[in-house]
Amino acid sequence: MTNLKTDLQASFTAALPIVLGYVAIGVPCGILCDSIGLNALQVFAMSVLFYSGAGQFMIPNMWLAGAPIASIIASVSFVNTRQMLYSAAFAPHCIGVRKRLAFLFAATVTDESYGVNTLKFEEGGWSVRRALFVNLFSCTSWTLSCTVGVLVGNAIGIPLAIASFAMTSIFICLLCTQKANVENVVAAAVAMLGVYVFKLVGLTGPAILLGAVAGVVAALCVSQVRLARSRESAAYEARIEEACVGGEGASKKGGERE
Amino acid sequence: MTWGEYFIVLGSCMVTMLACRVLPLFLLKGRSLPDAVERALGFIPSAAFAALVANDLLSPGMFAAGIWPAAMPLVASAVVVVVAWRTKSLLGCAVAGVVSYALLTLI
Repeated sequence: MTNLKTDLQASFTAALPIVLGYVAIGVPCGILCDSIGLNALQVFAMSVLFYSGAGQFMIPNMWLAGAPIASIIASVSFVNTRQMLYSAAFAPHCIGVRKRLAFLFAATVTDESYGVNTLKFEEGGWSVRRALFVNLFSCTSWTLSCTVGVLVGNAIGIPLAIASFAMTSIFICLLCTQKANVENVVAAAVAMLGVYVFKLVGLTGPAILLGAVAGVVAALCVSQVRLARSRESAAYEARIEEACVGGEGASKKGGERE
Repeated sequence: MTWGEYFIVLGSCMVTMLACRVLPLFLLKGRSLPDAVERALGFIPSAAFAALVANDLLSPGMFAAGIWPAAMPLVASAVVVVVAWRTKSLLGCAVAGVVSYALLTLI
């Protein structure tokens, strides 16, 4: 039992920044969900069962923009495929862990809790159980905050344009915290241009999904070219080294004799 | 959004999300993903968030009602970018964005 207590304490300390952050983002998310006519029960269920910050902002955002349901589902699902990376990254830590524990843990990973738990696993002395507790503290905070947001939604009366800019700001922040390498910059630039072009030709509904796919494809092409180039230059260097190896070997032997 | 539409959206999003979160962990058992797949997945956040930002800020004919109504969110976004680079804080960005947007609407 004391073991459980120390686990809970360690996890709560680790989760605290996420818990506070989710209160700040969850309340506006609830307000936004209220504005498209979702009630507290619906938002509560969505937060527990779906549990995705970006996803739960996208749904009211695209709904307000008049996107068709199929387009909303496809775009949200596409954005959330990044979770596969986190899942794959945690797989080695879950070897030999009870299936139910591993499942619960995997099912409650988010961008933020992935970051915190990855850091903790690297530091050492971290367990899947503690990682699960971090996820559960975060999920509780998110769910309660979203629900509170729905309940106070009407009371505060923030103009929708201003409330929805909170969401735009969060997307900007998430974009800026990505690694600034060539491929990511290409992905972002092509995606932005793609969204504009798809809107221009009348594909406003699926513009987000199509633009993002265009960005990923462009980045993959660039990375393929860069990979081929670096392989070429590596092979070239290897050949030079091979040619030099005879002379170098002789001079080294000479050095040893002295 | 009606209850019917809500159930379709929640059900579909929940299933794809759960599959993405759980399947790699159980199927891979510690092996790594194919290299090209892993790279493509790595590009998704940048592309997706950029697309979401562009969707909120850009649209054909955005300057039809004059330059300021369309330029104002862009100016507020520039403020958010600075805050994002300095602090990397979601909360800080949300606050900075809303405050600068609200102040700019007063101009």
